[in-house]
Amino acid sequence: MRDEIIRRMLISIPQLLIMSFIAFLFIDLAPGDILAKYRFDPRISSETVEKIEEKYHFDDPAIIQFGYWLMRLVRLDLGYSFSREANVSAVIAERFLNTLTLSFFSILLTWLVAVPLGIYAAVRQYSWGDRIMSVISYFGMSLPSFFLALLLMYTVYVGRDLPIISALPMGGMISSNYEQLSWPLKIVDRAAHLILPVIILTIHALAGLQRISRGNMLEELRKQYVITARAKGLPENKVIYKHALRNAINPLITLFGFSFSSLLSGAALVEIIINWPGMGSLMLAAVRAQDTFLVMGSMLMGGVMLILGNLLADILLVVADPRMRK
Amino acid sequence: MRFKGFVIITAAALISLVGCGSIKDRKASKVEGIDYMALQKKAETFVPEIGTYGGELIMSTISDPKSFNPITATETSTSEFTQYIYEGLTRIDGVTRMPEPNLAESWEVSEDGLTWIFHIRKGVLWSDSVPFSAYDVEFSFNDLIYNEDINPNSARDILLIEGKKIEVTPLDSHRVKFVLPTPFAPFLRTVNGGVAPILPKHRYEKFVKSGTFSNALGIQTPPDSMVGTGKFLLDSYVSSQKVTFRRNPLYWEKDSAGNRLPYLDRLVYMIVSDQNTELLRFKRGEIDVLAAKGEDYPGLKKEEAKSNYTVFRLGPATGSSFLFFNQNTLTDSETGKPYVDPVKQSWFRNPRFRKAVAHALDKESMIRIVMNGLGYPQWGPMTPSEGYFYNPDVPRQEYDLEKAKKILADEGFKDSDGDGILEDADGNTVEFSFITNSGNNVRVKIAEIIRKDLETLGFKVHFQQMEFNSLVQRIDNRPFNWDAILLGLTGGPEPHFGKNVWHSSGTLHMWFPRQKEPSTEWEATIDTLFVSGVKELDKAQRKAIYDEWQRVAAEKLPLIYTVLNERTVCISNKFKNINPSPNGGVLHNIEKIYIDTEKQ
Repeated sequence: MRDEIIRRMLISIPQLLIMSFIAFLFIDLAPGDILAKYRFDPRISSETVEKIEEKYHFDDPAIIQFGYWLMRLVRLDLGYSFSREANVSAVIAERFLNTLTLSFFSILLTWLVAVPLGIYAAVRQYSWGDRIMSVISYFGMSLPSFFLALLLMYTVYVGRDLPIISALPMGGMISSNYEQLSWPLKIVDRAAHLILPVIILTIHALAGLQRISRGNMLEELRKQYVITARAKGLPENKVIYKHALRNAINPLITLFGFSFSSLLSGAALVEIIINWPGMGSLMLAAVRAQDTFLVMGSMLMGGVMLILGNLLADILLVVADPRMRK
Repeated sequence: MRFKGFVIITAAALISLVGCGSIKDRKASKVEGIDYMALQKKAETFVPEIGTYGGELIMSTISDPKSFNPITATETSTSEFTQYIYEGLTRIDGVTRMPEPNLAESWEVSEDGLTWIFHIRKGVLWSDSVPFSAYDVEFSFNDLIYNEDINPNSARDILLIEGKKIEVTPLDSHRVKFVLPTPFAPFLRTVNGGVAPILPKHRYEKFVKSGTFSNALGIQTPPDSMVGTGKFLLDSYVSSQKVTFRRNPLYWEKDSAGNRLPYLDRLVYMIVSDQNTELLRFKRGEIDVLAAKGEDYPGLKKEEAKSNYTVFRLGPATGSSFLFFNQNTLTDSETGKPYVDPVKQSWFRNPRFRKAVAHALDKESMIRIVMNGLGYPQWGPMTPSEGYFYNPDVPRQEYDLEKAKKILADEGFKDSDGDGILEDADGNTVEFSFITNSGNNVRVKIAEIIRKDLETLGFKVHFQQMEFNSLVQRIDNRPFNWDAILLGLTGGPEPHFGKNVWHSSGTLHMWFPRQKEPSTEWEATIDTLFVSGVKELDKAQRKAIYDEWQRVAAEKLPLIYTVLNERTVCISNKFKNINPSPNGGVLHNIEKIYIDTEKQ
C-alpha cells in the first residue's frame, strides 16, 4: 500500500510537467499578451513596457520562458500575476479557501441527497416516484448552471417581500456591514451567503449523480448473486442494503475522486453571477487576460488536486472493497 | 483604457429575464436626448446645503483594486479608490473639470511661464496628525514620481516634459518652487491628485531608501498604515467582496458653516462582477448608486415613482468609439512588400472615401437600436462632457446615403460588372476586412450596424470579432495586416494627453503609428497644432489651437466617430446635496453629500 502511494506520487511528477508544458504552449500560441493593456494606454510610455518585457523574459521563445518558470517553481515561486498585480501564490491562496468552502458544502449536500434518491429510484424502478425523479433529473441535467443561477437570483428578487426569502442575500460572501457585526452574527452572515450558491451547485450536480447511482444499483440488482441471495431466502432488506448496495457504491467512489478535483476548479459562471470569489472565475479571468503565470499556477493546483483525488479514491476503494486488497 | 468585461452568455440571457419592461414597451419607448448644456449650467450654480453627519453610501464596482499605490497605479480600478486617500496640489473641479487650488492654496507664475511658486495650504494634517508641508511635495515629485526605479509609473510619463524633469525645490515649509524646462500649458492640470498625488515623506521615505516602494501599498497593506490628506481613509478591504472607507476626521475642507467635511461616515464599494446581479441588488436596496445601462433604463424609469431612487440622465459620456482604416504606406523590410495593398491604400488614404463612409454611418439607428435611445452622435475627437476644450462646431458628416454614393461615384467607384459590389476606377473590387473586439456587447452591435451601412454603400465587408489583446497587438505591430477596425478610447478634458494618438509619431496614432515624417499635409498640421498647443499659455488662444485640431480631425476623418452613450445614474433618494452634472456625474461632491435623517 505504502509503496503504491509512493509510486503514484513519482509518476505524477512527469504528468504534471507535461500538463503544464502543454498549457504553457497554448497560452503562448494565443496572439497578444498581458502587456497589451499597457501598450494601449496613452499614459504609459513604450520604454516602461519594454522594461517589464525584459524583466520577465516575455520576448524569449516559449521553451525558454517555460524553463524560467520551472526554475522559479523549484523554489516554490509561482511567479507574478500582472492582471492582479500580486504574487500568484498569494492570489491563489486567497481564493483557495472560498472555493473549498463552497465546494465542500455543495458536494456534501449533493452526495447526501443524490445517492439515497438514486437507490430509492432503482429499488422502486418505474414507480411514480422514480418517474417523477427521472423527469426532474433530465430537466436538471439539461439546464446550464449559470441559467439556473440567474433563475434563482431572479426568484429571490421577485420574492423580496416574503419572510424567509427577504433575508437571503443576493450573492457575495459577506454583507456591506460585516465589520460592524458581532462574531456570532458574522458566522450567521457568512452561512446565509452560502445558501444560494450551495443550492444552485447542488441542484445542478444532483441530477447526474442521482442517475448514475440509480443505474449502478439497477445493474447490481440484476446480477446472479442477488438472485442467489433472494433464492436462498435472505430478507429483501439484507439483499439490497447489505449485498447489492456495497457493490453499487464502488464505481461511485472513483467518481468521488474526480469530484475532488472540482473542489478547487470551481464553477466559473456561477461564481461570477453569484459573486463568489473562487478559483473558477479567477481562472477564467486569467485566461482572458492572458495572465500566463496565474493560469499556470491555477492549472497546476487543479492538476495536483486531480491526482490527489484519484489517489484518495483508490485508497477508499481498497477500504470499501475487500477484493481490492490482494 | 478601461474595458468592462462581461460574460457574454449571461448577457444574452438577461434581456428576457432581468431586463424589465417587456419587448412591447421597448418598441413604444422613444427616448429623446436631454438638454445637457442647460443641466451643466444649473450644476455650475448649485449651492449646497449644510448637512448632518453620519451614515454610509454603498456603491458597486466591477473589479478589485490591484493595489492602493497611487504612483504605480495604471488602471482606473486602482485610482478609483486611491482618489479618496491622496490629494494633489490642485484638483479637477467636479463640475467645470478645470484645475482648482487644493493642497496648494494659491500660486504665482513668472512671465515666461516657466517658474511656478505654490503656496501650501496652512493647517492641513496627514491622517496621523503630522502637519503637511512643502517637503512632502518635494518628496513626492523627486523621490517617487521621478524615481527611475519605481515602475510602472504613469505620472512620470506625463510629467517628463520633452523628456526633461521639472525641477522641484522647497523654499520653506509652505512654499515650493517648480521650474519647467519649456512652457507647458497643462501644468496645473498635471499636478492634480489624480496624476501627481502627494504622499507623506515621513511614512514612505524608508521604502524608497530600501528600494521597495513599487511593492509598498499593495492590497495586503494594513489599512491603518495608509496615511493621506484625503476625504476618506481606507478602513478595510475584503478581496472580491468590498472596499470600505471611513471618514477622515482631520480632512481640511469645511462647509460654509465651518463644519469639517465630509458628512458621510463611510463609503462602501461592493465588488459585483456580474452586471445583472448588480442591477438586482440595486433594486433590492443593497446598493445605493447604479450606473445604468441603456437597456435597463426603461425598467428603472418605470419603477422610479414607486421606488426610493431617482434616475438621472447626464448627457453624453466621455470616451469614444470610432471606425478607422489602415493608412500605413510603409514596406515590410523582410518581405519587400507594402504592409497594406497599394490598391487598398488608394482607398483608405483618400479623405473623400472616408467622408463617404462617414456619411453612410446611420448613427440614429445605432442610438435607437443598441442604446435604447440613450445616446448621442459624435462628430469630432472631443466630447461635450470633456468641458472647456470641446469644439461643438466641427464639420458634421450627417447620415446621407445619396451624398455618400455620389462622393464615391465622383471618385470613380462604380459597380461596373453589375454584381452589386463596387469597383474602383481601376476595376478592383472594393473588399476589405472589418474587425472589432469581442466582449463588449454594445460595440459588437454597433459594428454590426456599421457593416450593414458599409454593405449598403456597395462594399464587400468581412466582419470579424477578436479578443481585445490580440486586436491591439495587431494595430501597431508588423505585419500591420488589417483593413478597418472599430475600437474605443477613454477621453479626458485635456487635449494634450491625446498627443500619443494625434501626433504622427505617436504609438497610438492607430491608422499609421510611429511615423518618422507626417505622411499627409493634414497630419503635419495636427502635429504643429499639438506642438504649439502645449506651449501656449494664453487660455483663449490655446482653445483656438485645439478647436482647429478638432476641425481638421473631423474633416479629414482618420478616426470616423460613431456614437456616445448617455451617462445614466440612479441614486437612492435618501442622499441630499446631489448635484448631477454632465461633466462630473453625481458623486463629484461626495464630501458634501449627506443623508437626510428624517427620511430614514
